Amino acid sequence: MMLRIVTLAAILSLPVVPCLAAADIAAGQEKAKPCLACHGENGVSSMPGIPSLAGQQDQFIQWQLVFFRNGRRPNPMMAPLIADITDQDIRDLGAYFHSLPYSTAASDVSPNPELAAKGKLVAQQHRCASCHKDDFRGERAAAAIADQREDYLVKALTDYRSTARPSTGVAAMTEAAAGLTDDDIVAVSHYLATLPPPKK
Amino acid sequence: MIRQSLRIGLAAALPIVFAAGLPLGKASAEDLKHYDSSKPSFWAHPPADWFLGDETEAQKGLAPPAGPATPTPLDELQADLKKIKLPPGFKIEVYASNIPQARQMAWGANGTLFVGSFQATNVYAVTDQGGQRTVKTIIKGLNMPTGVAFRDGALYVIDINKLLRYDNAEANLDKMPAPVVAYDDMPPYVAHGWKYIVTDKNGWMYLPFGPPFNIGIPPTSVSQIRHVDPKTGLAEIVALGVRNSVGGDIDPRSGDYWFTENARDWLSDDTPSDKLNHITRLGEHFGYPYCHEGDIPDPKFAMGHKCSEFTPPVVKLGAHVAPLGMKFYTGNQFPKQYKDNIFIAEHGSWNRHKYQGGRIERVVVDPDGKNPHQEVFASGWITGERDYFGRPVDILQAPDGSLLVSDDWAGAIYRISYKK
Repeated sequence: MMLRIVTLAAILSLPVVPCLAAADIAAGQEKAKPCLACHGENGVSSMPGIPSLAGQQDQFIQWQLVFFRNGRRPNPMMAPLIADITDQDIRDLGAYFHSLPYSTAASDVSPNPELAAKGKLVAQQHRCASCHKDDFRGERAAAAIADQREDYLVKALTDYRSTARPSTGVAAMTEAAAGLTDDDIVAVSHYLATLPPPKK
Repeated sequence: MIRQSLRIGLAAALPIVFAAGLPLGKASAEDLKHYDSSKPSFWAHPPADWFLGDETEAQKGLAPPAGPATPTPLDELQADLKKIKLPPGFKIEVYASNIPQARQMAWGANGTLFVGSFQATNVYAVTDQGGQRTVKTIIKGLNMPTGVAFRDGALYVIDINKLLRYDNAEANLDKMPAPVVAYDDMPPYVAHGWKYIVTDKNGWMYLPFGPPFNIGIPPTSVSQIRHVDPKTGLAEIVALGVRNSVGGDIDPRSGDYWFTENARDWLSDDTPSDKLNHITRLGEHFGYPYCHEGDIPDPKFAMGHKCSEFTPPVVKLGAHVAPLGMKFYTGNQFPKQYKDNIFIAEHGSWNRHKYQGGRIERVVVDPDGKNPHQEVFASGWITGERDYFGRPVDILQAPDGSLLVSDDWAGAIYRISYKK
């Protein structure tokens, strides 16, 4: 309901303010159509190596689009899609994907309690919750990582470790990932991908 | 000290083992975390404690905020600036927008405004044709190019561990020449490795060398300010015991170097205070890591040292206000009492529970550091407990005597002017 009101308000305000600065979820939905082929209907990916974006932190999505656009996060699939997007497109896309309901169904792996326990320890040692919060659903530019696809989490951490992708928050992820072993990455990714839904 | 001996200092950095980030108390030796500066890995990936804090519950969630991904649109900026408070007669307006993560500013001889950036990797040029300003990205792909300077037709930029010189810069804004490395005896780490450049009348540059962590015994080649001649690569150490300094200026009355300094984190929300310092003697020690704000011995690293051994700050600016760029005012536009005052851009807190700073401070002080007085000059960038719509980074005087202020959060430059 809340969402619908926001969307409606955004549409109504369009003709009134010619240079609309605020993010527009409805416009984002339209602009996001080409994204869904890989990132999944409703932003929940079922494609290996492709992250789910539903409910992801708005600011995190925006930063990644900026990094894709300026080439600092090189990606042959993303590059042609976002080459010409504007700052306004980036804000709209961030708002749209953030507005989609967070899904715990993104990860299709069966839980391995032993590996998850090891991963939990890694998450504690490297203090992931300092930025990603206790529920690992992130805040501002710190990504939501709970229930993300396991294969994607492995890829993301490996890329941070090798500095193949830049970090926000000065160099927080670059520094945090620098000390991870391959086994650490596998374990912590499994732990995060198979987190039970938060208790309400 | 010449370049050669500094270089030896770096290469032969003793395997200093230091501990960081433990709460007070009798920690036994095996409880301490050890880092070894003789290992190349230390210089590539310093300990992460500086942004993670001490693992206490109170510090949780105080991670460095990243800021907006895209610069604030002009109409939003103009609305935001209406909330800025200034003394009567002063006005703030947008000078230029759409400058991602704008940091230090420097004037070219022909009126080009050069602007560095934080993680955007860019250097920008703002040009003005009859009031119509154009922002151009002239350099891309540098590592934390926060510091910029202009001298003898050349643009100087810090690329984390290299001072780069781009000759005949203003004539080549569309295609900058390949840079010449003017000085590179600097560590490669990012944490507190970004820099600010202050050029003196002879063309030597003051460059800060911050330690790659919050608190610890720094390798002897860092936690200092050097005075570097970009023509010859000669360098001397002018100040020791300095934590993270990203701003300074030369007093037009005395020729002395003054600088801002960010104090250690994770002690508390209200201590220690950040500092405004004044160098009166070559190589004097400002206290880090033994003593903070001139009167707080570090709970772990004082190690028997007394605060009286070190140079205290001229002004305590407040805890977590994050003073960055500063300038002595030498113009004629502002009222007479502003002459030779110091304006300091305070970036504001990131790990205080309630943000403070995020404003421009005015300091009135004698050339010898006596009779200091500070007051808030411009404020209002903090919104709520822990958010900003902008964060002031640097200050530069314009030829007409107005002040330009860069903002790396909103990605903009403001102009503050005075009219009777």
